[in-house]
Order: sequence, then C-alpha cells, then structure tokens
Amino acid sequence: MPDRDGRRRQEALKDSLPVAVGGGRGWRRILRRLVGAPDYEAYVEHCRKVGHPPRMTEREFVNEFFAAKGKGVRCC
Amino acid sequence: MPRLARAILWFAVAALGAVAFGILALVRGETISAAWLVIAAVCTYAVAFRFYSRFIATRVFALDPRRATPAERLSNGRDFVPTNKWVLFGHHFAAIAGAGPLVGPVLAAQFGFLPGTLWLVIGVVLGGAVQDFTILCCSIRRNGKSLGQMAREEINPVAGMTTMVAVLSIMIILLAVLALIVVNALKASPWGLFTIACTIPIALLMGWWMRVWRPGKVGEASGVGAVLLILALVGGGWVASHPIGAAFTHSGVALTWMMVAYGFVASVLPVWMLLAPRDYLSTFLKITTIVVLALAILILLPPLKMPALTPFATLGEGPVFAGKIFPFAFITIACGSISGFHALVSSGTTPKMLAHEPDARLIGYGGMLMESFVGVMAMIAACTLEPGVYFAMNTTPAALAGAADVLKTAGFVVTPDQMQALAAQMGEQTLIARTGGAPSLAVGMAHIFSSVTGALGGKTATALWYHFAIMFEALFILTTIDAGTRVGRFMLQEILGRLWPRFGETSWYPSIVLSSAAVVAGWGYFLYQGVVDPLGGINSLWPLFGIANQLLALVALCVATTIIIKMGKPRYAWVTIAPLVWLTAITMTAGWQKVFSADPKLGFLAHAASLAGSADPRAPRLIFNDHLNAVMALGFMAVVALLLVVSLREWWLILSRRKAATLTETPFVESAYAR
Repeated sequence: MPDRDGRRRQEALKDSLPVAVGGGRGWRRILRRLVGAPDYEAYVEHCRKVGHPPRMTEREFVNEFFAAKGKGVRCC
Repeated sequence: MPRLARAILWFAVAALGAVAFGILALVRGETISAAWLVIAAVCTYAVAFRFYSRFIATRVFALDPRRATPAERLSNGRDFVPTNKWVLFGHHFAAIAGAGPLVGPVLAAQFGFLPGTLWLVIGVVLGGAVQDFTILCCSIRRNGKSLGQMAREEINPVAGMTTMVAVLSIMIILLAVLALIVVNALKASPWGLFTIACTIPIALLMGWWMRVWRPGKVGEASGVGAVLLILALVGGGWVASHPIGAAFTHSGVALTWMMVAYGFVASVLPVWMLLAPRDYLSTFLKITTIVVLALAILILLPPLKMPALTPFATLGEGPVFAGKIFPFAFITIACGSISGFHALVSSGTTPKMLAHEPDARLIGYGGMLMESFVGVMAMIAACTLEPGVYFAMNTTPAALAGAADVLKTAGFVVTPDQMQALAAQMGEQTLIARTGGAPSLAVGMAHIFSSVTGALGGKTATALWYHFAIMFEALFILTTIDAGTRVGRFMLQEILGRLWPRFGETSWYPSIVLSSAAVVAGWGYFLYQGVVDPLGGINSLWPLFGIANQLLALVALCVATTIIIKMGKPRYAWVTIAPLVWLTAITMTAGWQKVFSADPKLGFLAHAASLAGSADPRAPRLIFNDHLNAVMALGFMAVVALLLVVSLREWWLILSRRKAATLTETPFVESAYAR
C-alpha cells in the first residue's frame, strides 16, 4: 500500500500520460496511426500534458515527420 | 468459462485441425476443397497462439503489465507513442506483409499444395512468429534498440558487422528479385504498364496535397489517389485496345532500364514527393485487398486442382525452379514462414509504439500468424489454377520442353488454344512463360474475384480483376523498391561515412547521388542478369534471395538465444535454438547445392562449365554471372558459419561461467497504466 504522497505522485503521472491512441478522436485517429500518418493533434496533446508549449507548428511537424519517414525498413 | 468447457473447446479445435491435416495428406482424389486448407491453418494458428505464444510470454520473457515500455517512458508525441494494441497490430502487419508471402507460395506450388502449406503453417508457429515475437520482447526491454545494435552489444562487434552486411546484401538481392517479378508481369502488357505508370503522377499529386496544400491530410490525399488509381485501371483497358497501346508495350530489357531510372529518382527525390504518398496508397490497397481476398476464399472455398504432391517434389527437376523439396521448398517460401526481414521491423518502429508489455504477444506472434495466412491464401489462389496452366505460365519454353515428359505423365497438359483463350479472357497478349509468380497469382485471384462478382449477379469482369491483381502486386513491389533503395542508400552512406565523414551527411547532394547510384547499380545488375538469362533468371535469383533472408533470420535467432541465456533461462533456449538448427540446415544445404551441384540447372559452377566452349555470344557473360552468384552464395555460407561460431562461443563462455552474464535490460520502471 503506497503512502499518500506516493499515490498522489502516481496520479499526477497518470494525468501526464499521452492517451494511448484509439482513446483519442475515434476513427480518424485510428486510421492515421494504422497507416503511419503524421498526427499533429497527438503531439500537441503530448506537449500539453508534459507541460510545455508545442515547439513546432503543424507545417514544421509535418515537414519533420516526412523527413524522418523513409528511413525505417518495410518488409518484402 | 468453466475449466472443463475450455479444455473441451481447445481439444475440439486441435482435433479439427488434425482431421483437416489428415484429409489434406491422405485424400488423393480429383480435387479437394480449399476449406480443409483453411481449417488446418486456422486451427493450428489458434492452438499455437493460445498455448505456445503464452508459454513464451509468461515463462520465457515473463512479460509484465506493470513494467513501463519505451513508448511510455520515452514518450515524445512523435516516434515514441503508446498505441492501442489493435491499431499497432494493423501498423505492424502492414509493415511486415508485402509481396513476399504472395510470391513464394505460388512458386513453391510446383511441388503440389501440401509441402508449401505444411511449411507455411508449421514454420510460422515454431519459427517465424517466434523470431518476430522474441526480437520484439528483446527490443522493448532495451529502449527499442535495433537488431544491429543488439547483435553488437549482446554477442560482439563481429555479429554487429554481420548484421550490417547481411541487411545490405539482402536488400540488393531482394530488390533485384522483386523488380524482376514486376518486369515479368509488365512485359508486353500495355494495360498493366499504363496503370502502373499512372501511379507516378498520382503519387506526385498526393505528395503536393499532403505536404504543401493541406499539410498532414493523408486521408484526403489517399482518397483522391485511390479514385484516380481506379480510373487509371479502367483507362488501361481502353489504352490496350487503342493504337496508343504500342507506346506502353515494351520488352523486358527496356522495362529494366525504366525500373533502374525510377529507383534512382525515387531515392534522390525528397521522401514526401514520391515515396510517402505511394507508401500510403499501397498500405490502403494492401489491407483492403487482403481482407477482400480472405472473404472471397472463405465464401467460395474453391476446389484445389493441383495435387497434394507433384512428381517434381522428389525428382528435383521442377521447371519453375530447380532443386528437390529439401531444402528448396523451405528457401522459396521465406516470408510467410520465417523471414529475417521482420526482425528489422520488430526492432524498428513497433517497439517504440507498444503501450503494454503483454501486447507484444498479439503484435509480434499474432501479426506473423496473419502473414502466414496471407501465404496460405496465395497458395490457394495458385492451386485453383489447372496444373497445366500453372506450369505453362511459370516456366520458360526451354524448361517446359525439358519437363514435357513428366508433365505429360502427370496429366498436366494444356493446349496452345486453351492458353490463348485464357490470355484473351484476361486481356493479355499471351500468358505463356509469364514467370515470377505474379501473373499466375493474378489469374488465380481474378478467377476468385470474378466468381464472387458473377455470383452476386454482376458482370464477371475477369480482365479488370486480373489487371487489378497485377497492379496491386506491382504497386507494393514498387513501394518496396523505392523504400529499399533509399534505406540501402542510407546504409551505404553510414558505412562510407566512417571513412570520410562528409559522405555520411545524409542530406549532402553529391553523397546522395553517388550512393543512390551505387545501390541502384547493385540491384540493377542482378535484375538485368535475370532478364537476359535464357535459363529463367528468377529461378536462380530467388533461391539466393531466400538464402540471404534466412541468413538474417539466423542473426535474429542468435541474438534472441543469447539474450534468453543471459536472462538466466538456458532451459528455455530451445525455443529459439530449434528454428535456428533447422534454418542452418536449410541455408547450408541450399547454398552448397546452388554452388556445387553437378546439375547445370541447379549448380552455378556446373552451369558455367556447361557453357564453356559454347558458341553462344552471351556465354562469357553468363559464365561470369554464374561465378558471381557462386561467390555470393559461398560468402553467405561463410557469414552464417562465422556467426554461429561466434554465438556458440559466447553461449559456452556464459554457461560454463567463464564469463559473467551481464544483462543489458533497461531497469524496471513501474508503468502508470498499471492499476
């Protein structure tokens, strides 16, 4: 049984978690994640929960996303 | 459910699977329904998932829902994002399943439907799914590290280097083989080539849409792309019957140069222009087509016309590819049973998105079962063809003449008129000697789809379905080619960057151009060789690809075994050692036979010797190719041997306590998801 502080810390941490996708905005979001499309809303949500303002605009985010894409492998 | 009811249920599933296998193995009638194949496969998958994957999850890796995953600890809203397990399942499946599980089984159907199906089903539950799952588990306990990094850190730098070399060579051969399949499918096919050519401007439009005009709107752009793609498909039929069609009718060599040019351009251009949009388009198309094919097969349950075993299983002189059932059935079907390439995905994006440790079971093990099922469907599609048609499509005229006696005795005959009628029905000029697997799969799929549309009261539209299937395969093979050339380019830049740091800058244009050209030249050479080789390039290149791919699986299984031993669980190491032993036997036997077999159809050296003194002006080049292939195969075998020795030494040192087993797992952090 954790002490009261411990439990409070635990709850604060839970609040700061990004929502596992699927809980977010329904089908559009699921589809995006499924095909590996950029999800700016998820990034904004992450920044809000961690407690800093988003460091990228949507355009910057999309540009960076596409620049990073294509480095991972996909199978035969 | 009460314990007893559960036990009865699983016993029934197991018994049903056993009965289905019994029927497949014992019934030797005219035809057999595909239902038995589907039942045997699905029951095996269910039992393996319920019992074996659970054993690996709980006993071997002790997956813990209270332990935070990299996605949670390192969450950044970009690459590390905790993701719902079903969504991640789809994402992972889309990344591992490509043309491989469709093509391999079609080629292996020359032995009959039974050997390939058994290897697909047994190979996946004890080998492929185990590899994908264990590597995923290893990676999530190490901050989502890649296979190469794990090989370097867990075994030693030699293993790390082996991985790099293996990945690069597999990439080169894989790209050549896949490109060869596309070339064979589009040769003298104006309809197919027009549709595929249209995908390039469609991709450019989509790229502009989702990056410049409406940033990030992948769904919209893909919707527009899909509509245009269907128009291009229908338009192709018109082009083929119009004088314009001549502009889209090309020989294999001309198509080779187009592919090489395309691969180079796609690697040099920014990724958002061509690569990313095609990737989305083919992912959507892939998921839909596979779902539709599965439904169609389950509804129709078509009869299998191919016998369970053909004479080629033991003769070893199959016209599609040479070699006996062992080891070549196991080399030909790699993706779908066990594919080393998956280890790169399992240690790539997937571990960075896994929200809970126990989800790894569904995604790693379950995802691979799904791919195996795609392989089984391809096998069904190929085996619904008349065997005579299958062999006429998949063999070069020379090989067909060589095997004529066996084919005649087995009753696998077809008249030229029948072939002409079939070609006309599919809207093609000819279907004879359309090797590579894609056209026969397309004919099989067209049969299945058109009987569904026919049964639903619509027009059968066979030609349209055939070209849809061709486009579907060509599109995702081309997606692999552009992505693969690019990844190969990055790897080359990384390796050469160690010698000259400037070259390692992935955005420095001279380096981009040079490294892209080098990678394209690599696969372009093998492609060209496959196109001009009169003895049917695909049958010597595909086994080389199989060997290379299994080599990477060996690396992955060595890494997983080392980690299991270091975890202090050597009593469970057989989980990965069993497939490792089998793969070693396959790759070594296949490599040896490809090099030293006295049969010129099989052995590279014997083939070279048979050409010596030939008056054919192409002979010197073909002899050089044979020697090059022999050196490649020997190189792969040497690498396998080296890796095994290095790993065995490491295991012995740890088990004999001469070396402390230091586990490199990231420390336990309690997950906030845990209640």
